[in-house]
Formats: sequence, structure tokens, C-alpha cells
Amino acid sequence: MAEDRKPSGAAGRTPFKRRFTRRKGCRFCADKALTIDYKEVRTLRYFVTERGKIVPRRISGNCADHQRKVREAIKRARNIALMPFTAGHYLD
Amino acid sequence: MRTYENILIVHPDKVGDEYAAVVGKFQGVLNELGATILKQEEWGVRKLAYPVKKQGRGSYVLTVFEGEPGIVAEFERRMRIDESIIKFQTVLLENGLQAPAPAASVEMTDEDEEEADAEEAE
Repeated sequence: MAEDRKPSGAAGRTPFKRRFTRRKGCRFCADKALTIDYKEVRTLRYFVTERGKIVPRRISGNCADHQRKVREAIKRARNIALMPFTAGHYLD
Repeated sequence: MRTYENILIVHPDKVGDEYAAVVGKFQGVLNELGATILKQEEWGVRKLAYPVKKQGRGSYVLTVFEGEPGIVAEFERRMRIDESIIKFQTVLLENGLQAPAPAASVEMTDEDEEEADAEEAE
């Protein structure tokens, strides 16, 4: 049973969108080779749901500093169509 | 002197020498404005994540250049005028050119990048 830490403030039950298991530490503090860059879509894809939304920090487990960098990189990638705004873009 | 990184998406219909003409034109614009181009990378035609100007694809050009802050406004003004550029984005690189940024599609080469590129909004 994954350790079921109660998210602070949320009602007793776990938030319904618990598709992501709770990551322990921040990925970027642990593994230095990983850079946050708006051009590297592959690393950013870990932090976006299938619908294209940014995963909140409490689920992605990032520290505040890296989460802000990830958010900024994702928004820049979206701006130049490397990443979608929402998954539902119909592509002609 | 600040280092900027610019990505522009050229209309997919512009191919071959027309495409080269557009890329060459903006290299000329940069040189004319007194910027020194540190690196130029062309990723070729890629699928866009969402339709831009009714196009599903576009060719990406990445340019890293160094110059006075004033030239970016002029550079972007020229890009807005040019119809063949459907989207562009210029970003200030905080600490200059780090390890060569791998193209989004190219496999990640495993250089030892010391610390992440801290880029704040332009």
C-alpha cells in the first residue's frame, strides 16, 4: 500500500485525481543532469496531465523553485506550439 | 551585451530556397542591427501542438544571438511584418549560452550541464 499521506487541508478522502503516485523528492534536486528548458519537451511532459494541464506541486513533488521553472518552461513551450494548451486541439 | 535566444516558426508552404531566403533575411537583419549570432539551429518541419494560422505543421529555426537590448524590439517588429513567420518567441538567456540546447526532437546528448539555464521572461 503506497504510504497514504493525507494531503493537508483536503477533506479526509484522497483527491479524486490521484492518477499520479506521490513522488518523494524533487526530481531536479536529486538528478543534476536534468535541465528545465522550454525546448526539451520530453522532460516537461512528465509535469503535464494528458489533458495538457500543469501538474500541481503537491502531486509532482517538485520543490517551489523548480516547480516555478517548470511552469515557466511549459508556458513558453505552449507559446511556440511545442506543447498543447489543451489535449482537445482538433488537428486538421 | 545580453544573450537572447529566439525561436521562429516559418510557414510550412515556404520550402527550399524560399525558406532559406526567409532564414537568410533574418540573419541579415540581426547582423544589420549589430548582433553577433552565436548559434543557429534548424529543426526542420515539425508537427505543431495546435493549429497556428490554420497550419498543422511548421519549420522551426532557433537562433542564439548577443546584442544590445534595443535590437530585440526592432527584430520582433520585422518578424511581425513578415507573413511567412507564423510565430516567434525571444527569450533572455540569464547566464549566456550554456551547454548547447538539444533540439526538442533530437535525443538528449548527455553533456554534464552544471546548472539549469535560469531564463526569466523577456
